[in-house]
Amino acid sequence: MRRIVPRTALRKMVKSEKLGLRLSACADLLVYLNFLLFLRRLAEEARTNAFQNRSRIIKPEHIIVAAKAILKKSKG
Amino acid sequence: CSQKKTLEPKMPSSLVKRVFKDYVKMPVATESFGIVEKCTKKYFKRLWSDLAAFANHAGRKTVEASDVEVLMRRQRLVTDEIPLHVLIERHLPMDYRKLLIPVAMSGNKVIPEIKHK
Repeated sequence: MRRIVPRTALRKMVKSEKLGLRLSACADLLVYLNFLLFLRRLAEEARTNAFQNRSRIIKPEHIIVAAKAILKKSKG
Repeated sequence: CSQKKTLEPKMPSSLVKRVFKDYVKMPVATESFGIVEKCTKKYFKRLWSDLAAFANHAGRKTVEASDVEVLMRRQRLVTDEIPLHVLIERHLPMDYRKLLIPVAMSGNKVIPEIKHK
């Protein structure tokens, strides 16, 4: 796993998306953590989908189905 | 170079790819990564608006760590069985963990000073 958190990228993303919103000193790290966990959930869901379809590799359709479920779960 | 500036900032795709690959532990079709990136984009869009809502609700313009924690609780990532610091320990590299979890140092000092606990 990569060891560096792209903190500036995160801050830039907030700036472009929500004007006037800032991240406090530690919040960006937690956002990154949240992002990692989102990807993990997505990966797990995609894998189960692939297993159910007896596929050996993850295809785009597996991820699309997984994404629908996981994006719903990550609503705040 | 001028083209790069017009692009909106996003997570580096190599990072998204690497992390996703790490977590699936299965071969991934090359086209799939494009979809993953699209999902990330959607995810972040929602994330920022959620965080903005939380901060706004508290009458702040800065997203604090507590806002993110509340969000993760609502996503059922942080639960009573799995508190936040366990997730931090499991998933974040050491250097960053130090910034988030107070470590007792010699001379009765705690770094960083505990604010949000």
